[in-house]
Amino acid sequence: MDFLINLTPHLVNGIALGLLFALIALGFMLIVGVMEVINLAHGSLFALGGYFAMMIIGVEPGWFGPLGDWYVGLPAGARYSFALVLGPIAVGLVGMLLELCLRGTYGKDPLFGLLLTFGAAMVIEELIRIGWGSGEQFLQTPPAISGAFIWNGLIWSTYRFFAAGFSVAAIILVWLFLERTPYGAIIKAGAHDSEMVRALGINLSQLRLYVFAFGVALAALAGIIMAPIWGLRPHVGVDAVIPAFLIIVLGGVGSFVGAVIAGVLVGLTVGITGAYASEWSLMSMYLLLIVVITFRARGLFGKKSMLEN
Amino acid sequence: MNNNTGFGAWITRPMLITFAILVSLPFWIDSVGLYQYLGVEIVIWMVYALGFNLLLGYTGLPSFGHGAYFGIGAYAFGLSQLHITESIWLGLICAILFAALGGAIVAAFLSHRRGIYYALLTIAFGQVFWFLSIKWHTVTGGEDGLLNIPRPDLNIGFASFSLSSNEALYYFVLALFVVVVIGLWRLVHSPYGTVIKAIKQNEMRTGFIGYNVWLYKWSVFTLSTALAGLAGGMFAMAQESAYPDVMSLHASGFIVMMVLIGGGMVSFWGPVIGAAVYFLARDLLGSATETWLLWYGLMFMAMVMFKPEGIAGAWQGFIKRGDASTDGDKKPVTR
Repeated sequence: MDFLINLTPHLVNGIALGLLFALIALGFMLIVGVMEVINLAHGSLFALGGYFAMMIIGVEPGWFGPLGDWYVGLPAGARYSFALVLGPIAVGLVGMLLELCLRGTYGKDPLFGLLLTFGAAMVIEELIRIGWGSGEQFLQTPPAISGAFIWNGLIWSTYRFFAAGFSVAAIILVWLFLERTPYGAIIKAGAHDSEMVRALGINLSQLRLYVFAFGVALAALAGIIMAPIWGLRPHVGVDAVIPAFLIIVLGGVGSFVGAVIAGVLVGLTVGITGAYASEWSLMSMYLLLIVVITFRARGLFGKKSMLEN
Repeated sequence: MNNNTGFGAWITRPMLITFAILVSLPFWIDSVGLYQYLGVEIVIWMVYALGFNLLLGYTGLPSFGHGAYFGIGAYAFGLSQLHITESIWLGLICAILFAALGGAIVAAFLSHRRGIYYALLTIAFGQVFWFLSIKWHTVTGGEDGLLNIPRPDLNIGFASFSLSSNEALYYFVLALFVVVVIGLWRLVHSPYGTVIKAIKQNEMRTGFIGYNVWLYKWSVFTLSTALAGLAGGMFAMAQESAYPDVMSLHASGFIVMMVLIGGGMVSFWGPVIGAAVYFLARDLLGSATETWLLWYGLMFMAMVMFKPEGIAGAWQGFIKRGDASTDGDKKPVTR
């Protein structure tokens, strides 16, 4: 029993981490599905989300006249909620810009889209460096969700529970959006067969624009939630995007359930190895991937994908 | 010069021009404001890029974890010098063998895969090696890496030369580069080369003809990692150290960028041009602005958007203007 109680914090941390990874992975997967682009800039946009949120929370008095002063007067929780909404929207706009650049690569080897976004990742990272410096930054959280509490003789971080709960809510909302709205139906159809969707009279280039913006907005949302846990560095995105790749491959490209389950699996693996051999905790997820992929070529829930050609 | 027999099959005009430029490099590089060591770095990366392009440009297989094998080569060179004996040949052979061994094991996992799964698995394996290099302190020296690797004298049986000056090292590295270029040129114009080009165009059909696609993909990856290991060994010799930086995802991405900017998708010489452009951009842009990666990244994005065939592709288009087909997509490497 002692053993189990000692392990519980690591399990909670692992699940919270895994759910956030799953959120990043879902945005990534939507983009892969609809546009057939491996978005290597996903991690940089994840980081950008955190930086935008920091800026939105940290507005100084006198920046935007009376409106700004009213905003600064708001409690920390309200400003944090603002950041959670405005940050992803701002990153979504950046994503739209990137999608416009990507248009030239459609219909060619998927390699070109991947390379363009690799270049974009470099550019965004350098822009973050120019804008906010290379040093580690800190995103403030409102007092209601920061700090820690003691339960059963163990210290638990409140924020981890908030992060896990928030990710679950976000994942459910994304699922409802995809499964229960007409827009979701169009996106899923676009991922399945974009030519047919176009033939049905749906504007494909507009669809791609919005899906890309939506996908990177999810990354930004995850970035904001993750920032207080990991801190903000210009290259923090790499730590997020690599697990997201792994989760996609592990869960199977195109599978919503696969991404969530693989996300939790990766999170738990990292969390549990973190408890016993913290040095090697990040390595364990690569080994997990290699083991799974050796036995199941398309991941846990994968179907045959266009991207294999 | 496209005859496949005699002298022209081994040495071509672009080859002679490239060699001539590179041989004369130490005599003029100082006077254009650069320095001797840059030449060593460029030629080492040219070997690395040529090996990488065998995989990317000729077989159409994207690897985003190639830095790992470069790093394995560097560590193998360093460890053999520090723990076994000081010998250039032993060091380089160890570098090639261990990188190829790592590559062969990874390729066994990879070669059934295609497209996105292939790319993602190369990333995963690359990260595994990178993690090992950082965490396995007792062997690799952790984040600091191996320091004070000796740069042994070159012993070719009857004579022995000191490579302590950068000029001497440059000519040694260049000699290996010449061997690699001629060897690769022959390889890609052999029946083997024809099959890997066919795999790039359509893997399934190549299989239907009766070629063992798995074996070709496996051997190309292994060969490419062996060359990365050779380059890594030379790099450890030049730097007199080996460190995990070269194995990171970023470093692995740079080699892809180099090959693409140069035009590896359409030309044998693409990687050579790309490596030179990368290092010149690093030094020239880097001395002009601290944020050179921003400008290099923007340049790269523009290149992918408007000229995905790279510099060599633009040059080919310039030579035979009027030729209709210019999209560099899935076309075999011709020259």
